This record gives sequence, structure tokens and C-alpha cells, in this order.
Amino acid sequence: MLLLQNLSNALILACTYILMAAGLTMVYGVLKVLHIAHASVYTVGAFVGVLAFTRLGNFWVALAIAMFVSGIFGVLIYRSTYFYLLNSPRTVPLIASVGMFVMFTDLLQKPFLMGAYQRAFPAGGAGLPAVKTALFSFTAKQVLILLVTVILLAIVYVILTRTKLGLSWQAASMDRDMASAVGVNLNQSIAANFFLGSALAGAAGVLVGVYNNSVFATMGDLPSYKAFIIIVLGGMGSLPGAILASLILAIVENFLVASIGYVLPRDSIAFLVLILMLMFRPNGLLGRE
Amino acid sequence: MSQLEIRSVSHWFGGLQALKDVTFDTHDEILGLIGPNGAGKTTLFNVISGFIVPTSGEVRFNGKAIHRLRADQTVRLGLARTFQIVKPFASLTVEENVLVGLGMPYYPTSAALYQRYRTRSNLDQVEQILAKVHLTDYRSAQAAKLPIGLLRRLEIARALATHPKLLLLDEPAAGLVAQEAEELAALVRDLYAQGLHIILIEHNMRFAMNLCHRIVVLAQGEIIAQGNPTEIQNNEKVINAYLGQE
Repeated sequence: MLLLQNLSNALILACTYILMAAGLTMVYGVLKVLHIAHASVYTVGAFVGVLAFTRLGNFWVALAIAMFVSGIFGVLIYRSTYFYLLNSPRTVPLIASVGMFVMFTDLLQKPFLMGAYQRAFPAGGAGLPAVKTALFSFTAKQVLILLVTVILLAIVYVILTRTKLGLSWQAASMDRDMASAVGVNLNQSIAANFFLGSALAGAAGVLVGVYNNSVFATMGDLPSYKAFIIIVLGGMGSLPGAILASLILAIVENFLVASIGYVLPRDSIAFLVLILMLMFRPNGLLGRE
Repeated sequence: MSQLEIRSVSHWFGGLQALKDVTFDTHDEILGLIGPNGAGKTTLFNVISGFIVPTSGEVRFNGKAIHRLRADQTVRLGLARTFQIVKPFASLTVEENVLVGLGMPYYPTSAALYQRYRTRSNLDQVEQILAKVHLTDYRSAQAAKLPIGLLRRLEIARALATHPKLLLLDEPAAGLVAQEAEELAALVRDLYAQGLHIILIEHNMRFAMNLCHRIVVLAQGEIIAQGNPTEIQNNEKVINAYLGQE
């Protein structure tokens, strides 16, 4: 029973990782840029979500607004920065990305934005029921996270595998020049990719904000490297890999903490897993190159 | 009116001039573009197909200036190309590779977000295109697993999916054995007979001379000769710069 409950908790943790890492790996797939500033989008999503929820009182509307604003924010990042660096060496957009992340984190701490204090995000389970069985249980908040993650992943899956846009992303991720040579409008395609990936990050920010009932300007710090670790573990640019790596990491973190306690800080476990993975499978779980 | 008009096109890569005042037209024909390595042939293809904006000069396609358009925009006007080094979408199947070409002319529209690419009409078109290039049996094969001869055909199939009026083939016979090259030449002739105009870069002289109606010879970025294959084979400048004495 304890085992199943630990697995249930790990599943919820994995959901938040998945949403964050999915967007990052989608962007990496097409642009081959480690978009560290993705974590800023996550924070902005949480911030917009809490503002919208405070004013409107409806979680689902707040989530939709937060995802939309995050998507637009991501597209602006692409058009204002990466767009001009597409043909630069990979270190250039990486440095730009780190710079943007630091700048946005700093900006968000200004009093006219989020300030230095935490805001509560008391959306609870958004009206969803808790689930209790003899073997495991989910709180209403956990049900909310699970439900939103499953719905969003299903939407991403359909877009990726059934629509022309998804096919253009697959093509561009394999060879941008060739994709362009068969008519893919790379500007549009990459902007749409950023929009969806950033909307997912915004959703992750909202869900984590609700789960911890706390939103603050530096909440993106931890996900900035956790998501990076996950996409390396999963195989750069692989969405199924990111999902698998999120699950594995969440399970390892949960079970290590549950079995040996906080001998190690929980978040350092991710780095240990990363080091082991790089030693034995440097291309990641489902990596192509 | 000429289909493609190339007017005084020059291009510099830093201090190196890759194209020098190149001017020629294409008509209803299979045109060969030959010349030694580094002559500027692929650079010229890149200029025509929108991958490079020339330093100076003008390219017109069916009367419309295209030298400042992006590659995807030239594709929508009916100009498709293949690459010297084959570039399949490796983890997609043969069918999906062709579907990418079929799906894209609808961009940019928000409809792309919900339009399915695997529709009955798209799949019918894929079937016709694959039949045309004799790849029907490999429809479900992953592109990464195809040998070079079939990959060359796949590149042509993918280009055909964009419904081109002019097809640029960059060394289509490279890496092919004689039998495969002959089959490819037959395919190119078929495509021409169906109304497609073709420009091809080729180092395989037998392939080019037997296939092309007219040949333009580039050396060190400039045109040194143009004419029919017989004229080119007997042109002293071409013999000295490229073909050599036999």
C-alpha cells in the first residue's frame, strides 16, 4: 500500500515535470537551442494565473488565460532574440537564453510586478473530487494536476501526430533546410512551436502554484535546471523521452526520500541520476544522436 | 517568355566571389549545369531556390522577381529542389516524407493547427507520386533505412509533392551505379514529358550529355559556355577548364 501511495505521489510530481520539460524539449527539437528562459515563462504563467484567478475566481478561465499569455510571451522571446540567432553557433543562443532568464527573474522581483513576496494561489482542486481507494489516494489538487496534464498531453499528441503543423515540426526538427525546401514556413512553424511549448510551461507554473498554494518570482529557478536534466535524460528533443525521464526521476526522488530520508537534498538526486545516465547512456533514454 | 531569368547574378562569401555576373534563361527544356568543383553551381541553385540572397543581380521566375524570397516562398511559386547530399526526414516513413511536401503549400494558415495531413485525398496523391518514381513498394519503409538510389527517388518524390513547375536537381546521379543512373535518367525524361521543366547539376558527363537539351558551363563562378551537348563537348574552353582531353 505504501508502495502504491509512493507511486501515486511520484506520478503527480512527474506531471509537473512533464509539462515543463515537454515544452523545453519541443523547442529544442526544432531550434536545437537550450531555452533556459523557458523557466521564466513558467513563472510568468503562474503569475498571470494567480492574477486572473484572484480577479475572476474561476480556475479554468485563469488557466486558459495564463497559458495564452505564456504562449505569447514565448513567441515574443523567439521573435525578439532566437530569430536573429538561428544561424549562430549554438553557444550564442544559449548565452542569450541564460541572460534572458536572469533578466526576467530580476524583473519579476520588482515591486510593480511580483515583488519579493509570495502570493497564495488558493484554487484548491478547482471543484474536482479527491480520490480514495484502499490502496492509494489522490487529493483534489492531485486529481487536478493529473487531469490537466493528461488533457494537455493528449492535445499535444494529436497536434504532433495528426496535424500539418505537427508534421512540419517533425520535419523541421530533422532538417530545417530541407523542411524549408518543401515549403515549410519556418518562421510560422517555429513561432507556433514556441507558443505551444510556452503554454505548457505556463500550465505547469499554474499547477505548481496551486499545488504549493504559493507563487513567487524565483519559483522558476529549480525547474530551470530540473527540466534541463529531464530532457537530457530523455534524449534531447524527444517528447516520449521527456515523459519517460520525468516519470523515472519523480519515482527515484520519491522512493529515495521515502526510504533513506533527506540524506541528500531531494533536488540533488536529479543530478546524480543525470551523471549516471551520462556515464552509461550519453544519448539519453530515447535520444537519436 | 522565359520561365527562369537569371540576370547579372553575383555572390560573395566574404572575400571570395562565388558567382560572377551570371546571366542565362531557361525555357521548356532539361538544362544541365556543369563545371568543376567550386565553380558556383550549388551556390547558383541556392540563389534560385531562396537559400541565399545574391549580393547583386536578379532572378525572375515566370516574370516574378524571386531573389529576395525565402525558400518556402519560392516553393509555393512552383520551384522545387533536391540536394547534393540527400536529406530525407530520416525517422519518417517514405509516405510521411511525401506528405510533408503535400501539406506545406497551405502555410501560413491557422488551419494547419487542425488540418489533418493523412486525408484520403492526400494519401491518393502520395500513391500517385510514389508510383511515378517507382517507390510504391517502400511506402511504409523508414527513410533512414533506404539505400542511396531509393533516397534519390524519395527526394524527387518529395519535391514533386509540392506541385512544382520547375525542378532543380543537384547531382541526382551522385553515388548511383550505372543501372540506377539509367533508371533515374528515364524518370527525369518522364517528368519532362509530363510538362515539368528541369535544371540539373551533374558531374556524371554521360548522364548529363545524354539527358540534357542544353548545357550551361560554369567555371570559377562565371559562365564559360552554353549550348547543346555536342557543342559543349567540342568547346575548347570547356575541354580545358573541365572536361579535359580524352
